[in-house]
Amino acid sequence: MRSLIVIAAVAIGIFAGVFLMAAMNSSVVQRLDAAVNEELSHIQVNNKDFRSSADIQNIISDYPRVVAALESTPGVTKVTGRMIIRGIASTATKSSGVEITGVNVEKEKEMFTLSGKLIPGTGSYFETDTKFNTAFIGEKLAKELNIIRYIITPEAITSLREKGIPSNVVSKVETLQGQRYTSDKKFVKAYEKILAPGEIKKYGWKIKEAAWSYREGSKIILSFLDITNNQTGAAFRVSGIFRTNNDMFESLSLFVPIDELRQLTGMKEGTFHRVIARLEDNDITDDATPVIREKLADYEVLNWKEIQPDLAMIADFMGQIYAIFMIIILAALAFGIVNTMLMAVLERTRELGMLMAIGMNRRKIFMMIMLESIFLSIVGGFAGMAVSEIVIAITGKTGINLMKYSEGMEAMGYSAHLFPTIDAQFFVTTTILIVLTGIISAIYPARKALKLNPVEAIRGE
Amino acid sequence: MAVVEINNVFKFYHDTEVEVKAINGVTLSFEKGDFAVIVGPSGSGKTTLLNLVGGLDQPTGGEILIAGHRLSELRPSELIDFRMDHVGFVFQSYNLIPVLTASENIGFIMNLQKWPKEKRIARTDELLSSVGLSERHNSRPSQLSGGQQQRVAVARALATHPEFILADEPTANLDSKSAESLLDIMEKLNHEEGMTFIFSTHDVRVMKRAHRVITLEDGKVVSDEKKE
Amino acid sequence: MKDYQLAWKNLWRNRRRTLITAASVFFAIFFALVMRSFQLGAYDRLFKNVIESYTGYLQLQQVDYFDDPNLDNSFEIDQALIDQMKKDPNVNDVVPRFESFALAAAGSHTQGVIVLGIDPNSEDKIMKISNKLVKYKLTSETIEKLRNASIPDHTKKLLDVFSNEAYSSEASLMNDLGISDEDSATILPVIRSHASFSNEFLTERDTSDVVIGDGLSEYLKAGVGDTIVLMGQGYHGTTAAGKYVVKGIIKLPAPDIDNVIVYIPIETARELYAAPGMATSAVISLDSNDDDDILQTGSRLQNIVSEPMTIKKWQELNALMVNQMEADNRSGMIMIALLYLVIAFGVFGTVLMMMAERKREFGMLVSIGMRKRKLAKIISIEMLLIGFLGVAAGVAASLPLVFYGNIHPLRFTGEFARMYEDYGFEAVMPTMLPDTFYLWQIVVVLMILVIAIIFSTRKIFRMNVINALRA
Repeated sequence: MRSLIVIAAVAIGIFAGVFLMAAMNSSVVQRLDAAVNEELSHIQVNNKDFRSSADIQNIISDYPRVVAALESTPGVTKVTGRMIIRGIASTATKSSGVEITGVNVEKEKEMFTLSGKLIPGTGSYFETDTKFNTAFIGEKLAKELNIIRYIITPEAITSLREKGIPSNVVSKVETLQGQRYTSDKKFVKAYEKILAPGEIKKYGWKIKEAAWSYREGSKIILSFLDITNNQTGAAFRVSGIFRTNNDMFESLSLFVPIDELRQLTGMKEGTFHRVIARLEDNDITDDATPVIREKLADYEVLNWKEIQPDLAMIADFMGQIYAIFMIIILAALAFGIVNTMLMAVLERTRELGMLMAIGMNRRKIFMMIMLESIFLSIVGGFAGMAVSEIVIAITGKTGINLMKYSEGMEAMGYSAHLFPTIDAQFFVTTTILIVLTGIISAIYPARKALKLNPVEAIRGE
Repeated sequence: MAVVEINNVFKFYHDTEVEVKAINGVTLSFEKGDFAVIVGPSGSGKTTLLNLVGGLDQPTGGEILIAGHRLSELRPSELIDFRMDHVGFVFQSYNLIPVLTASENIGFIMNLQKWPKEKRIARTDELLSSVGLSERHNSRPSQLSGGQQQRVAVARALATHPEFILADEPTANLDSKSAESLLDIMEKLNHEEGMTFIFSTHDVRVMKRAHRVITLEDGKVVSDEKKE
Repeated sequence: MKDYQLAWKNLWRNRRRTLITAASVFFAIFFALVMRSFQLGAYDRLFKNVIESYTGYLQLQQVDYFDDPNLDNSFEIDQALIDQMKKDPNVNDVVPRFESFALAAAGSHTQGVIVLGIDPNSEDKIMKISNKLVKYKLTSETIEKLRNASIPDHTKKLLDVFSNEAYSSEASLMNDLGISDEDSATILPVIRSHASFSNEFLTERDTSDVVIGDGLSEYLKAGVGDTIVLMGQGYHGTTAAGKYVVKGIIKLPAPDIDNVIVYIPIETARELYAAPGMATSAVISLDSNDDDDILQTGSRLQNIVSEPMTIKKWQELNALMVNQMEADNRSGMIMIALLYLVIAFGVFGTVLMMMAERKREFGMLVSIGMRKRKLAKIISIEMLLIGFLGVAAGVAASLPLVFYGNIHPLRFTGEFARMYEDYGFEAVMPTMLPDTFYLWQIVVVLMILVIAIIFSTRKIFRMNVINALRA
């Protein structure tokens, strides 16, 4: 009976530990993927002074040479150049600081998945032919500039009905029809007044989704300094709006076709601020970087790990964090195992005494107890890992939605929709730790067993 | 008035699927001053009978009276108090609380009855000397020999002036010398204070000293001999 | 023999088991207390940094400003209202501000900045910003000079680690460079002579001076005496542009703010944005910053203030941070809950073992007259005592660490520190002194014990005396 309790305890402890780690791990993995595929790609080449002072003059003057150097490096699949300047984006009512990135539209589509993050219905990634300057902006920025509205249109009502929202809720929402709300918060305030708290909790975000509205081709003004340090600017139409999980990226990044930006700033044809290269695989980053550095010693060459060291660190540390976490849990479990084994030794004093008397040597007795302890831990541990595997597989598909914390998490760049995933490596680590725990917990009771005097032991307690 | 009356008592119970007739129609009575022993092979029902007499168990049929009171008429909570007042128990082993000293063990039961301190101390001293263990009053059970432990157990059983003492194989774990000493004390108490003793035993030494030997077999009394 | 005395004696009949069980409770409590102390300390520090250098605990705003922080939602200063608010017993002062966004340029460097128009005297009184003016800066020239100066070697080594750091207080300088109080008398003058930074805060007489954050200064490469240009969008959409001289550099503990802040006299800001007499918010400084006092003062003031004005609390002003901290907090609590769960099993196991071992004794006790209730009571006391032992030991062991960490917070250096600062956190980890969270841990242990007690009590009441005797 008490063995069952120990096994259950180990199983629960291991399950919870592994599952929690999987959740945290997935968060990090998602962030890494997003960073590489949406924001940074693998390698950045800058003018040496560019990052310390964002001066429009700090350009890469020898673009062809840089491109050649990159393309000749094994592992590099794609290369593109960008122009980067700081400026302000404003509408009639709001303004916000942005980093304006001039891009080669075709090449970017090949290298980054950002174009795929376009919110359907908001336009395109520079696909419409237009005489106006165009910009691709993030949802957060669009909201900040009040470009995104919330309107209950008849279509919105229909879609709510289709989504299965109960009709009494829909009728309440209908009373807001036709009104325009220029901000998220204002809209929320409006429907908070007419809906019950329970209804808000359940259907709030669906209503927001349905009312989300954006007029294609909205206008924004971009102001920045040109190549002679004079303030300049122009009106831009929003080509499309993208949505990622990274609020900071969304609010700061604004993309413009590089030629338009060149015209406005006076930057010469063929000059860029940054050249970006994509590698075959994340893992060859560390090998490829020094090779590129050597070739481009007069430039600053950075890989994604160096640009966002915190990300790389967390990814590296995941393994260690996990080990520490599991060790703490297992230490707690060890207390229980020790107590149980001690009890077992005490109860079976007679039996042990008899075994010793008939000649079983000390070493064997020690091993026997050790094995029992390891057995307890392993059965519990494997049970825990098996259950966690199943739960991870299930939640890995359905996902865990931490809506409540999405605001905070996305502000740091993390998605609030977790899909737990875990490396096989973790299971290996876990098993090793479990066995170790079994061994260490057995030491004290086993020593006690060895100290028994066979004759006294047989005589009974 | 008989101290204990056992009237046509039956005790059946179910051990998995088989019905065991532990006590199958026993009628006995014990008078004050009896020094009686119940003997019989294992499974004859000795322990069961003692449990019934001590009120620890209820008969399936028949009646048990202690000092004229019908046990069946007592509510469970009354029964507990009744037992404490009227019956003294001495078990084969594990009689004493391991963490308490000899005098604390004896005093324990008086504590349960909320005796005032002076009375308790006085009675404890009295009892300890009557079992000849005054110098060991501060010893823990682990520091006493088997025989000494049983003597303390007897002292404790006497603490509340019970009608009689029930002892289930009290000498089973003792060597001859200790067994003899224990029996000496019990006989002395029986002789000097008229304390009634009812034992169950295998032990020949005890049977020899008994004044009355009752033999049980298959839950029935097969003989009841009084010796003089 | 009282019940608790018997219980206490019973604990020691199997010393090992008692100690191991108590040790497991100790482990869980100690770990939980230390971890929570650091976690809560870090949050507290984080909030304090932002609140006490920037947002304040309560703010007066126009009712639409919070959802739409736009110059259009600024308000005209109503002195009567301010005076009325100042009558509140807990209100110290109400200080208006004019805040907006601009692009700052120095030479050819540009950066988006927060322009904070303040009344230098009153703002300084409540936010004590002049204290945060940089007093020492370890520039590369300074470090070169100091290397040749007469200071201990271990300090010289640390110079590299903290190169380009700015300090607004001697204490943190001493802390970072490992200068003890005794050495300070000899070493500090040397450092002062090389690393001192001459700096001044704004006064009401200034009209075209600004004070900027150290992070911003580094980025724009603009130091004291340099000129920066501010460009933005003014009230009702007008263009705002102006040239200003950097009068001072400030070091704020919250990197997010330190990297973008420009303090400017409020009149100058109003001029720049073409919004005479307006304010975007007013910080309300309180005499007592106790949680309860803040709440109550907030409600009292809300009653005085009517549309279109409203009172905002710090939790709303820093909603994002609150959200992030909650998420982190929850995850921390989950981990600790897990730990306690595991320990609980250990305790239950012990209880089971103990009950099984003493079955015969229990049977004996009940048959000689002990009520089951009394027996259960004694066993319960035994368990509570073991729990108490573990808790007391855990609490005692945690206190030195917690108190030390409070006075000498853990300070991160190098890459780790950069990572923290990139996320906007100060790279320190202070602890929180014993507070309700201490009680919570004890409550949890108590709950575990209560379950164990319920379980064992049931077992005792269900016990069949005869079977027990035969065990």
